[in-house]
Amino acid sequence: MSVNNLLENWSQFRHAHPVDDKPHDPYKWAMTIDLDTCSGCNACSVACYAENNIPVVGKEKYAHGQVMHWIRIEHYWDEDLGEEGGSEFPEQGAQFLPMMCQQCEAAPCETVCPVGATNHTADGLNSQVYNRCIGSRYCSANCPYKVRYFNWYDYPTTDDVWPAEMTQQLNPDVTVRGKGVMEKCTFCIQRLHAVKGTAKNEGRLVRDGEVQVACQEACPTDAISFGNLIDPESRVHKQWKAQQVELDKDKQLKDEKEGGTDLRGYRILENMRPYPSVMYLERVRESAI
Amino acid sequence: MMDSGFDRRDFLKVMGWGGAAVALSGCGNTSIEDGKETVAPYVEAADYVIPGIGVYYNSSCAQCDAGCSINGRVREGRVLKLEGNPASAINRGRTCGLGQAGVQHHYNPDRVREPLLRNGDKGEAISWDQAYALIADKLSEVSGEEIAFVSGGVSGHLKVLMENYLSSFGCKNHFVYEALAPGVVRAANKKAYGVEMPRYNIDKAKVVLSFGADFLGSWVSPVHFSQQYAKFRKGVDGQRGTLIQVESKMTLTGANADRWVHLRPGTEGILAMGIINALGTAKGDIAAAVAGYDRAFVSKETGVPAGQIDKIAAMLKLRSPSLVLAGSAAEGYAHGSQNADAINLLNYVLGNVGKTIEAAATVPFPQMAPATGNTAALKSLNDGLAAGRYKVLFNYAANPVFTAPGAMSFKENMAKADFKVVFAHYIDETALQADLVLPLDSALEDWGTQVPEYMADGAQINIQQPLMEKLHANTRGMGDILLALLKQRQAEDYKNYEDYYAYLRAAMVQNKAALGGGSADDDAFWNETLTDGIIKLEGKVTALSAKPNVVGLKLPTPMENDEFPLQLIPSVNISLRDGRHSNQPWLQESPDPLTTIVWDSWVEIHPKKAAELHISEGDIVEITSKTGSIKTQAYLFPGIHPEAISIPIGQGHEALGRYAKGYGANPFHIMDAIFDEETGELAMHETRVKISKTGQRVIVVKDESSAGAKQIREKIAGRVSTDDVDLTKEV
Repeated sequence: MSVNNLLENWSQFRHAHPVDDKPHDPYKWAMTIDLDTCSGCNACSVACYAENNIPVVGKEKYAHGQVMHWIRIEHYWDEDLGEEGGSEFPEQGAQFLPMMCQQCEAAPCETVCPVGATNHTADGLNSQVYNRCIGSRYCSANCPYKVRYFNWYDYPTTDDVWPAEMTQQLNPDVTVRGKGVMEKCTFCIQRLHAVKGTAKNEGRLVRDGEVQVACQEACPTDAISFGNLIDPESRVHKQWKAQQVELDKDKQLKDEKEGGTDLRGYRILENMRPYPSVMYLERVRESAI
Repeated sequence: MMDSGFDRRDFLKVMGWGGAAVALSGCGNTSIEDGKETVAPYVEAADYVIPGIGVYYNSSCAQCDAGCSINGRVREGRVLKLEGNPASAINRGRTCGLGQAGVQHHYNPDRVREPLLRNGDKGEAISWDQAYALIADKLSEVSGEEIAFVSGGVSGHLKVLMENYLSSFGCKNHFVYEALAPGVVRAANKKAYGVEMPRYNIDKAKVVLSFGADFLGSWVSPVHFSQQYAKFRKGVDGQRGTLIQVESKMTLTGANADRWVHLRPGTEGILAMGIINALGTAKGDIAAAVAGYDRAFVSKETGVPAGQIDKIAAMLKLRSPSLVLAGSAAEGYAHGSQNADAINLLNYVLGNVGKTIEAAATVPFPQMAPATGNTAALKSLNDGLAAGRYKVLFNYAANPVFTAPGAMSFKENMAKADFKVVFAHYIDETALQADLVLPLDSALEDWGTQVPEYMADGAQINIQQPLMEKLHANTRGMGDILLALLKQRQAEDYKNYEDYYAYLRAAMVQNKAALGGGSADDDAFWNETLTDGIIKLEGKVTALSAKPNVVGLKLPTPMENDEFPLQLIPSVNISLRDGRHSNQPWLQESPDPLTTIVWDSWVEIHPKKAAELHISEGDIVEITSKTGSIKTQAYLFPGIHPEAISIPIGQGHEALGRYAKGYGANPFHIMDAIFDEETGELAMHETRVKISKTGQRVIVVKDESSAGAKQIREKIAGRVSTDDVDLTKEV
């Protein structure tokens, strides 16, 4: 590979992961989160702790920013709240946003890993290989969403993280991570793996709704949908299509229309070209009140 | 159900011997080395134990009283995770964070494991036989009137046994005490609709006007209401539902509102009357009653701009049906009943009764219906204890030493009873005062039935079955304990029931025709019942009576108080509720949705007020009421009325366990004993306080960044006006 070739065809190399030339086949896992129904209740986050053996770090380590929540609820007030010209009270409520690994197609974390511990799977996940990770934390530094979490301590042997009885709750399908490795949301890869195996044994593909990720399964308002973006019958595929959000675009065609559209699907930090696999639907607010 | 349970470490030890073998142990934490377990090959595995494969069993969540049905994943004899049971009309396959943490209740390292008898400051382990003999002995010395039993909300067969036990010695002193129950709203509903808890159809309403009802967070049946809310937002015929929340301190539901209206604490009723007045559709008595509540007066008293009142009235008029809810913020005053009555009157005027408020079905077994109660019951118990009327006190599923308002001095009064028995999962504050502590099975180890107070679609009885073997050999189910105690008194009547399971099975099978079992074989009926985890019944539906309540409606205007200038609003945290679950670490580390604070208490102050008082985030402040004072960290919060401050409930434990003890402060301790004038329930929002800086400062431990909850430059959480979006195009 000459440097010239690299420079001339940069977009092709940059696009190592999406999609238009080599689509994921037969699976591309993706998600939609409806911010209008998300109530910010945190059920998804607790469910994720239960499913994925996430350690509870305690108050002191939390204060040091060492919390391990793979999915967190971000909470925002309106920009003009308390400012000149704005109200002193949040008259339109707050905004909540569940944030987890966006499983980017061109993930900024992947390119900086010195040992290739984080890379792309054939079904479009950004995977993290724990026993290859050396803990350089470059990936976390390069993640625009700040959703990678580092094991600063050996939690399995830390007091009161998993005392004797609580070890029995640990999910045997998920590794318990030791000190010095990076971890993050996996889209519940253990659940995907199990259901893909079942489907393969039966000589078919995974059907829509056959697998739910832990956050989605708990969500009391059904704000999260998850599935195979390639499957035209899947809810996620239909949602992305209806919202005219395309996986391999860094600027959606609909946003170029004058006056905008009456659609509310968007991806966070899309213009940075990470090609995230999570589409959010904007929160709606009544104009008549 | 399963006769093997073993832990991962033991499994590895056995595998280390080189054989495909499994360690079978009676009760969890024994090991091969001490010779307490045998090694048996997997070919003799118990039914449904398939190595490496999770098996799912239905049961019921016991983390709160909503009555959600759960589906527990069990692998190699251990319960790993709880999901919702899709067949339940209440939670339809969903769970909340509190429900998810149910496994941490079960596996909690701080559970009580042996019956403990007080010896000075210590508890000495005794056997169950000794404990039962001691109870029989103590009861023989007193009459029925000298015994009191305080419990949380109970229903189903457990309630039947409890009542039978109490009546076996002629005791009528059963006090049902749920610290956060909507006692005043129940009474107001009874007057307005003829039932305490009707069905609220949020999904059929076009507008929901909620007076401090946190139905997405902690009110009545939050998982059920959350699902209705999701439908309400998607809308009927493309008309998205509009939520207006009126309250003095923003709740999770308020944070999700299209319009959040803050008003002076306690003026909810006045605003409701003002809206009726502004609607202008009321006639006769009602029109006369609201005549004085014109815009100028209402606006002055509530602090809500007149234009806002007109807008709300206009929207309610335009979009029908609507639904008006009275929540804990409205009922927490000395005139709480009046507030709730006025709010229910607004529903009547809008014609919502019968449309968005409907009659709920009831289970045709009144003896199993849930026993409900609130602080009025605790007050009468407390008065009895203070007067020395009760010699023996039983306590189950309540922690009154932690949740009683400080002004009641419950702990001191409790000490006046000679013999105090506490049935406990943990050594909580109340168990610490007991003479005898009896350790309970966790909800995932025990049998039971539940009848939810809030019924969704039709009526249902929930079945609770063990999801695994007992973790600790010496804990007992509450049903088993009551049965053993009943056998002491009426051996003949209960001799056929070896244990609570046998009693439960017999009671259900006997009634199988009424329970929808038809002519099925007993075993088939029972197995199907356990498999489903729910018995669905048509239930009895009594039509609601829509009665306008205008007689005697008096809404006092707020008073100034120079010594204690601020109103204390104790808020209910979605995860911690009344504090009984604070020892579950997932919940401690689950950030409060509105402040993102973890592992501590805080006091919310409006930034404007804080500037006036020179308080900034992280200042340790002292909050003083007539009753007492507590210290905690300050947090500047825009979603609160400047004349109020708010402290969450659930922290400030002096006992309970390693994840709860020593974190935060308990606002119950500074609560004055002010009660609703009509129902006698505690007026939780009525305490007045003053606030002062102590000079100490801390860094608030929270999830949000130091920049606070603002989006800068890039769009992260997007929002759009209803004018700019077409929801009908969506999937």
